[in-house]
Amino acid sequence: MAKNNRHIDVLVIGGGIVGTAILHELSHYDVSVVLVERNPDLCDGTSKSNSAIVHTGFDAPPDSLEARMLASARELWPTIIENLRIPYLQTGALLIATSAEEQTIIDTQIAPRSRRNGVELQPLTRAEILESAPYVNPRIHGGVLVEGEGIIDPFWATRAYAENAVHNGAEVVLGEAVTGIAVESERVLVRTSGGTNFAAAMVVNAAGLWADEVARLAGDSSFRLTPRKGQFIIVEEDHGVSQIILPVPSRVSKGILVTPIVFGGVLLGPTAEEVESKSDLATTGEGLRRIREGVGKLVPVMAQASSVRQFAGLRAVSSTGDYIIRPSTVGSRLLHVAGIRSTGISASPAIGRYVGELVRDELGLSRRSRVVETLPEYLADAAANEGDVVCLCRSITRAEILAALRSPLPPTTLDGLKRRTGAMLGDCQGNLCMPRLIDMFQRQLGRDPDTLEKHAAHSAPVAGYTTYLASAGSPATSQEEH
Amino acid sequence: MDHRFDLAIVGAGLSAISALRAGVAHGKRVVVFDYQEVPGGFLRSALPAPGFEDAWEMLHSWRVPPEIAAYFSATVVGLLPASAPGEAHTLLVRTRAGTEQVYARHVLIACGGLEATREHAQIPGTRPGGVFTPILVHQFLARGYLPGTRAIVYGDSRYATATARRLADAGVEVTQITPATSEGGYSEGQAELVEVLGFPRVEGVRLRREGQVFDLAADTLIYAAGMIANTHWLRGSGIVTTGNGAIQVNARCQTNIDGIFAVGTVVAPSLDHASSIAMGQRVAALLNGGSL
Repeated sequence: MAKNNRHIDVLVIGGGIVGTAILHELSHYDVSVVLVERNPDLCDGTSKSNSAIVHTGFDAPPDSLEARMLASARELWPTIIENLRIPYLQTGALLIATSAEEQTIIDTQIAPRSRRNGVELQPLTRAEILESAPYVNPRIHGGVLVEGEGIIDPFWATRAYAENAVHNGAEVVLGEAVTGIAVESERVLVRTSGGTNFAAAMVVNAAGLWADEVARLAGDSSFRLTPRKGQFIIVEEDHGVSQIILPVPSRVSKGILVTPIVFGGVLLGPTAEEVESKSDLATTGEGLRRIREGVGKLVPVMAQASSVRQFAGLRAVSSTGDYIIRPSTVGSRLLHVAGIRSTGISASPAIGRYVGELVRDELGLSRRSRVVETLPEYLADAAANEGDVVCLCRSITRAEILAALRSPLPPTTLDGLKRRTGAMLGDCQGNLCMPRLIDMFQRQLGRDPDTLEKHAAHSAPVAGYTTYLASAGSPATSQEEH
Repeated sequence: MDHRFDLAIVGAGLSAISALRAGVAHGKRVVVFDYQEVPGGFLRSALPAPGFEDAWEMLHSWRVPPEIAAYFSATVVGLLPASAPGEAHTLLVRTRAGTEQVYARHVLIACGGLEATREHAQIPGTRPGGVFTPILVHQFLARGYLPGTRAIVYGDSRYATATARRLADAGVEVTQITPATSEGGYSEGQAELVEVLGFPRVEGVRLRREGQVFDLAADTLIYAAGMIANTHWLRGSGIVTTGNGAIQVNARCQTNIDGIFAVGTVVAPSLDHASSIAMGQRVAALLNGGSL
């Protein structure tokens, strides 16, 4: 591979919600900043497979770094959502006590913790809950309303952070993994699988579930991350569910919840399973059964509701029990941002801000005099314009697909296009429109069909070519895209 | 585009063409809309095939009659029923030029079904590349693309068998597995799909047969076990659907809303294609016999 030496100010490792939030913040400083992501697209790890809730942090461990970040994020979100036009709905969450014992846990443990975290809970009787949310199980005991909880599109947020950063001069390198790190006193050398050698004044390790392994590349074994699997079920029909319905959390997790999805439908889950492998993303019959059982106690109709999709995600559990945001043990120019558990989306604006300050103080940076704060709303603009329907199940138009393919950070995979536009997310799971989308990738971006992956390398739906039937003339789209 | 019609037909698949051939348009101003670029529905891409001679006979020579307004790449994305009896229903139609409103006193919903997916059946396992339904296979082959080299076709319908045969003809190594039913014994080639294996591409499937679980290697799974009614676009319209999402109709193909009819897979996802043809003929007779 060609040797490519690059001198930059800051390198961010990891293109999830945390890495892109940091990139976004740093791009507002007067520095050269690059983000490297080993997957073909952004948002391909923990950030993509989660409950998509912006938590208030009412139940975070008080005085933890996590609680501090979540409190600060509450202040920052409204501006971020407006500037980056992120689909967001403040639905509020109902924390449901199914028994008198659970009500006691709310009263004696959760309510005091929430007060210390600065989040007000509004106690509700069983009758009040059933009046505002008639879909909730009538056999509940009572509960509280957490007004500030909301839902978001995590992929949109991640992409929007990165795109705004690109507008402000940052660079995003996809499909290159970090393979070596050497921390020196005034700089850090980073080698990637793409053959690039970065010499950066500072490196931020935001590699999510793999942040401990990135640290070890630098000779730092000061923390360890283990994967916890969460399986989810997506239901297209909302059955009236308009608020987040939370169970009383256990010691291990927030529990199996029911939440509306910001672009329609309802999400059920997650399970909380300790697994061996950081790439074990399989759903299991047992896990899916447990979700149905769990949600049945809260919203009975969801125990049986027909599902369009199931998936699993992995979240990072840190050996310290709290966020790890600090310099590496091998040198101050490598900064870890790790162990962000399941609250990365919620805390991301505050983590970005905080890490920006740490980097600023270490390198003596100043803010740019001119910063692009907002993001053009190209998808909605495209939706309003012309274009026939390509994705039948979700009525996604040709114009919307083209807008995504022509955006500053275009998709590199079919799943990337799916997450940018919503195409292929409906009842048929893309079997109907995927061939048309492959045509459009080919025409717009010059991608050969057999090189276009579903997600990871070697996942391409087109496995090869045949002359069988092709000579009969393709019924494929032949129309020109302008 | 003209905007006022006596009858608007949603979909130009088998049941709609059958109704048109049986004269449903006689003496009326009729418009037809379809998501695809050509008439014939999703089944057309799989034809000709053994067992579908009647459908092929109907489709391959059919042309839109000149007196009918037909729009392709034109998807009906919404339906607003008339607010008072005798008034027109409103269809929201998305075309290349944007969204337009079309008014029709009668509507025939014949928009068929979508193929049920592995996700619909909630089959657990990994989410690799290489899990498809037949409609993708037929579109791939027509473009000269192979969906894999070693495929398992899971399904026993005529359509599943036609799909397996096409794959084999294209040089793909194919094994067809017949979904096991809960009742009765197992016959040759019969098993229940219990898990998808492999990542980033399919490496095989886990099957259960007579209580025995075993794995079968493949790089492609074609899930061909049923249809679901294509009714998502009717959400909020007030048209009553059954528990499985199909439109509820009476013996005269009428929905719960006056002047709105439905035929074909959209009313019965398990319908055989021959029944779709028959249903199209029946609705044509009913509509012509009435006061329309």
